[in-house]
Amino acid sequence: MKAMRYLALTPIAALALAGCGGSTGNSNTSGSSSAASGDCSKPDVFCVGLVTDTGKIDDKSFNQSAWEGVEAGGKATGAQVKDIETVSTNDYATNIKQFTDKKYDVIVTVGFLMADATVKAAAQYPDTKFIGVDQFIDTSKVKSPNLTGLSFNEDQAGYAAGYLAGLMTKTNKIGDVLGQEIPPVQKYDKGYKAGALAANPKVKVTSVYHPAGDNAFQDPVWGAGEAKKQLAQGVDIVFGAGGSTGNGAIQETAKASGAGKTVFCIGVDVDQWDSVPAAQPCLITSAEKHLSQGVTDLIKQAKDGSIKGGNFIGTAGVSPYHAFDSSVPADVKTKVADVVAKLANGSLKTGVTL
Amino acid sequence: MPDKDVAPPPATPAAAPAVLERGAPPTPGGLWGALIRYQAIVVPVVGLVVAFVVGALLIRQQGVNPTYAYKTLFQSALFTRDGLNQTLQRTTPLIFTGLAVAVPLRVGLFNIGAQGQFIFGALAAAVVGYKLHSAPGIVIILVALLCGLLAGAMWASIAGFLKTSRGVHEVISTIMLNSIAVNIIDYLINNPFKEKGQAIPRTPQIAPQAFLNDMGIVPIGFPIAVILAVGTAWMLRRTTLGFQFETVGRNKAAAGYAGIKINKMILLAMALAGAFAGLAGGIETLGDIHRYESGFNANLGFDGITIALLARSNPVATIPAAFLVGALRAGASALQFDTGIQPEVVDMLLAITLLFVSLPLVAKLIFRRYAAKGSALTSGWGS
Repeated sequence: MKAMRYLALTPIAALALAGCGGSTGNSNTSGSSSAASGDCSKPDVFCVGLVTDTGKIDDKSFNQSAWEGVEAGGKATGAQVKDIETVSTNDYATNIKQFTDKKYDVIVTVGFLMADATVKAAAQYPDTKFIGVDQFIDTSKVKSPNLTGLSFNEDQAGYAAGYLAGLMTKTNKIGDVLGQEIPPVQKYDKGYKAGALAANPKVKVTSVYHPAGDNAFQDPVWGAGEAKKQLAQGVDIVFGAGGSTGNGAIQETAKASGAGKTVFCIGVDVDQWDSVPAAQPCLITSAEKHLSQGVTDLIKQAKDGSIKGGNFIGTAGVSPYHAFDSSVPADVKTKVADVVAKLANGSLKTGVTL
Repeated sequence: MPDKDVAPPPATPAAAPAVLERGAPPTPGGLWGALIRYQAIVVPVVGLVVAFVVGALLIRQQGVNPTYAYKTLFQSALFTRDGLNQTLQRTTPLIFTGLAVAVPLRVGLFNIGAQGQFIFGALAAAVVGYKLHSAPGIVIILVALLCGLLAGAMWASIAGFLKTSRGVHEVISTIMLNSIAVNIIDYLINNPFKEKGQAIPRTPQIAPQAFLNDMGIVPIGFPIAVILAVGTAWMLRRTTLGFQFETVGRNKAAAGYAGIKINKMILLAMALAGAFAGLAGGIETLGDIHRYESGFNANLGFDGITIALLARSNPVATIPAAFLVGALRAGASALQFDTGIQPEVVDMLLAITLLFVSLPLVAKLIFRRYAAKGSALTSGWGS
């Protein structure tokens, strides 16, 4: 009985202590975001908020790339920036609302899963600009002029990666291990093939899609198995495009004999040097969507008022070579850089149609 | 009362078994007696207080005033119009999934499968909701909810059937059925029920006339959940079926000797649990998400376990337990925005509370014959 009372009282006392002692910690603007807290409803205070897809802001993938874009855009425009991390998909709307409540001028939402919530919010708050990262807007249905979807031509990233692979292969056999057979993945695949053939007409590309729909992007074991098969057939460059499935393929390639010398792998979407360190032994580059750049560009446009609703297509290319910078011949680098530049300015077409 | 096992002062442990050993103990008077009598409330409250203290220390560690953090959390969850709406929105399915775990617990079954039953219900309602798109709203709503309920009940009945026919422990079978449900549903939303021309595997949106809208700030599902929770409590306490449930839960041998058909009770309890979870899925689909999209219902079924244990398998108590969880989750967003505290702190608070609430439960499982009467929990373990 006394014990119960002690048990009940101790925490209450501790709570009081913690509460009283905490009077110095009045840090209502701390956290991962850095900016001082101005009043975003004032016209001269430009505020940019970012809502992550489920996951952390430092996920070394889309969330982080988008956040880096927001930070750069914020610096360029003198904006106050802040992020909120989403824990559950149920929180998308609530998290967007935190920013609209505070009258943020621009809200960046990350990932195609948030597309619906973003469309709804854009209709509800017409005075706020919304940037949907990796969200393709169906302009026949969604007319909000304050909503811009940032998407990428995967075929261009695939083309650049394939071009590099075509120049680098010694066996004239390259491969790709893919996730589900859906448009973005097909674009990577076809771009990769087109790029490889453009660089090296003798090249043979072995490609394989994950057969099942349910876990097509979460099956690293299958991805590793397919990579192994391709390597056994003499493929010396493996491009993994399909979430964890593709990561499984490049990680397996990293374990192969000759990895980093005669056998290479190529990552996808972001610079996977950081996001999949296990693939570093073979990771020559990644077919990269320039997400940060796209976000930064759109924030600048939002600031100067030139931003348009609808879709904004960001640029795509290949990531830095990192440790393989010296293994890639200078003329190859030049040619690849040239291809990336031409793709960006539109003078070179990948020729990919679905 | 087993709580004293966790209390540091050594004065009492000798006293308690002495009281309890005599079977039905004469309740001691005074504060201790009151605490014993209201242990079902005391234990969760103490757990909650401890959790908030630990949480306060961790928040303070991050340089934020805990009082300010908690104030932000609850103010945004309870004292703003949208916040309260969000809280109720989140509370509603949790009451149902709480019941889906609490009711089988009374029969001595631990239903870990509320998540699988829930998503089956959600999918069934979504499919009805878009297939019947030209029917009047009320028809779609009723058919969708009924199908959700039946889908959940059928899925749970598999575990009930395995238990009664082959003696498969329901914890094992329901855990496995959760994974099977996820994969079957992934197949279905990728193939027959997939929205055309959409890269994301999900069903089309349900017909707009079938949306369950909010009445003011109260989601329509909320009063339904409350009524069902109260009705379940009444059923357990006042009906023959409820009596049979409780008897099986407390002593299977005695129940069998008294002529209660144990297998029938097990099947019924599981089906009822699945019906609750499936109905929750249906209401969530019609009221909030308006389609089936994987990931959007994550964890509501698993949260039901938390709720049922917090409520100590009392159906009415699932309401405040679900409200607490709903409020914490609704307020987490503002907490993060205003203080920079990671929203996971909410999960931690719940986990610590649950740990405390479960400690006596563990003790009860060990000292079964000393356990306080009136709280049949998991007598199904080991049988």
